[in-house]
Amino acid sequence: MTTTCPTDADTTTPSRLTARFLTLAYEDRTVVHELDLAVPDGRVTVIVGPNACGKSTTLRALGRLLKPAGGSVLLDGTELARIPTRTIARSVGLLPQSPVAPEAITVSDLVARGRQPHQRWWQQWSDEDERAVTDAMERTDITALGDRPVDELSGGQRQRVWIAMALAQDTDLLLLDEPTTYLDIAHQVEVLDLVRRLAAPAADGTRGRTVVTVLHDLNQAARYADHLVAMKAGRIVAEGRPEDVVTAGLVREVFGLEAVIVPDPVTGSPLVVPGAPWSPDRSAPSAPSPSSSGKAL
Amino acid sequence: MSADTAVPVRTPVRPAGYRVVRVGKRARFLLHRRAALVAVALVVLLAAVCVAYLCTGESFVAPAEAVKVVLGQPSPDELVVGTLRLPRMVVGLLVGAAFGIAGALIQTVARNPLASPDIIGISQGASALTVGAMTFGLTSYTVLPYLSVVGGIAAAALVYVFAWRGGLHATRFVLIGIGFAIALRSVTTLFLTKGDYLVAQQAQIWMTGSLNGRGWDEAAPIGWALLVLLPAVLWAARAQRTVSMDDDTATALGVRLGRVRLGLVALGVVLASVATGTAGPVDFVALLAPQIARRMTRTAQIPLLCSALLGAVIVVLADLLARRLFSPTELPVGVLTAAVGAPYLIWLIIRGHGGRTGGNA
Repeated sequence: MTTTCPTDADTTTPSRLTARFLTLAYEDRTVVHELDLAVPDGRVTVIVGPNACGKSTTLRALGRLLKPAGGSVLLDGTELARIPTRTIARSVGLLPQSPVAPEAITVSDLVARGRQPHQRWWQQWSDEDERAVTDAMERTDITALGDRPVDELSGGQRQRVWIAMALAQDTDLLLLDEPTTYLDIAHQVEVLDLVRRLAAPAADGTRGRTVVTVLHDLNQAARYADHLVAMKAGRIVAEGRPEDVVTAGLVREVFGLEAVIVPDPVTGSPLVVPGAPWSPDRSAPSAPSPSSSGKAL
Repeated sequence: MSADTAVPVRTPVRPAGYRVVRVGKRARFLLHRRAALVAVALVVLLAAVCVAYLCTGESFVAPAEAVKVVLGQPSPDELVVGTLRLPRMVVGLLVGAAFGIAGALIQTVARNPLASPDIIGISQGASALTVGAMTFGLTSYTVLPYLSVVGGIAAAALVYVFAWRGGLHATRFVLIGIGFAIALRSVTTLFLTKGDYLVAQQAQIWMTGSLNGRGWDEAAPIGWALLVLLPAVLWAARAQRTVSMDDDTATALGVRLGRVRLGLVALGVVLASVATGTAGPVDFVALLAPQIARRMTRTAQIPLLCSALLGAVIVVLADLLARRLFSPTELPVGVLTAAVGAPYLIWLIIRGHGGRTGGNA
């Protein structure tokens, strides 16, 4: 029932997108240090880590939005900097953290712009464009919103529109920077399930898409990742299958949090349960307060 | 195999409001329906304004006669219409269209509806160099327009270089442009106070933007410029789509943002400079035309063709009023361009709030 990934896995899985000695910096502040990463093809790779650990920065570099200060990102063995950006855009799609839509644009118009790298000045709309856009909107369940202006949508709907745009680009690799940020829990699950479906092999056995995503929630990461990458201070601390990576020791090391790891009652994946919340009973047992339940909220 | 699985019938999605136009076997274009309708309406309006322009003046000419002259048929009004009014009107048309496109491109790149050649220093650069040359005794009307083109392009290049910091930041670009505009305006004022009274007066008229005394000699250079730049404008109409997204998204879609932006700005600057060289900095046309056009078409980006048409309408109509309002005194057209366009823009903005969802007038 559940999608199992081969256990021999991660060292032998082929990888189209790799980073080698990747060093990333803003101005002269180095954010990521000599990072090595091979993104396994046809899998969901999730990068986690505390705020400002360089996870989004790494994702941006994988999608050539940020030029490496040292080392390189390779697509099919060729350095990204040597590949025309339009050619990259046919293989790698990327949804940034807070994309901005042109004012007053309609949903279908925005999704259609995902077709940009496949179009020419004189070929602004092919059958293939139409198929990809229709497909992307169906998958994200926004077909009914086609004529609506994007500005008028709710945060959840808007996020799905952006994901549809990235899907319409029809790339083998898809990089998503915190795609669940503005969503309530139901929509978060919906988006992450969509991510899993994208990576699932097709009926004819062809490999699914490769997805790399940055997530804030460690438990969601453990549930949805085939390959989990934990980063801290610009370096990879651990990577591999979530059940191998997520341990109490890792959570302590990466997030500085004391937690208990239990099996997720539904999926069996590791579930991080942080220590008991602060309460006056624990910190000052002699002075119980009637308002403690109110403060816990 | 596939015949067994029932494929659910689904309606293919196309970008809302667009129509796919096939040209030949392979070429397909997306045409925005409303923008196309607005363009047709503007052409009709422009034609009407042009006929009115040719008919009115010191002497009234019947519309039929005016049209005859334009079509090259013999007419008793050949002199008044063909020699005096028509060339000046054509200059107005071309200047308006050039300002309209220039404003649209610069507003697109700056992502700011207030960015236009007369705000970010292009007009001021043209003025500074032209007025400077005038005060130093250079008054030849064959040389001055070219100096003004050079001044405009040089100012824009400076703004671009100063705004560059590993990439072009839109807000930085506008702010630095405004800074340059102020600095260059004071340079111009300095020249005006240093120069003699007559030169200063002449320079003042030029700086307001005027079509007085413009004819075929002025129409030819800007006409050629527009014709030569037409392929670039067609490219720009498509490229605009991508730069209206945020930088990251555009880059992820395979757009070479730096180059595309530079191309769009360069095209806008050249058009604005040539128009300024022809008629002086006719204020507000480049600012108003694109904003009004966009509100009319309701497109996600500023429509170039409609901006050009609207720029032409504004300038020709303003010049018609400038010639007739206080006749026989002719005002410089720049005095009236804002008066013609601004109220309409304000009305559109006010109406826009209710009109978006409800649409009740």
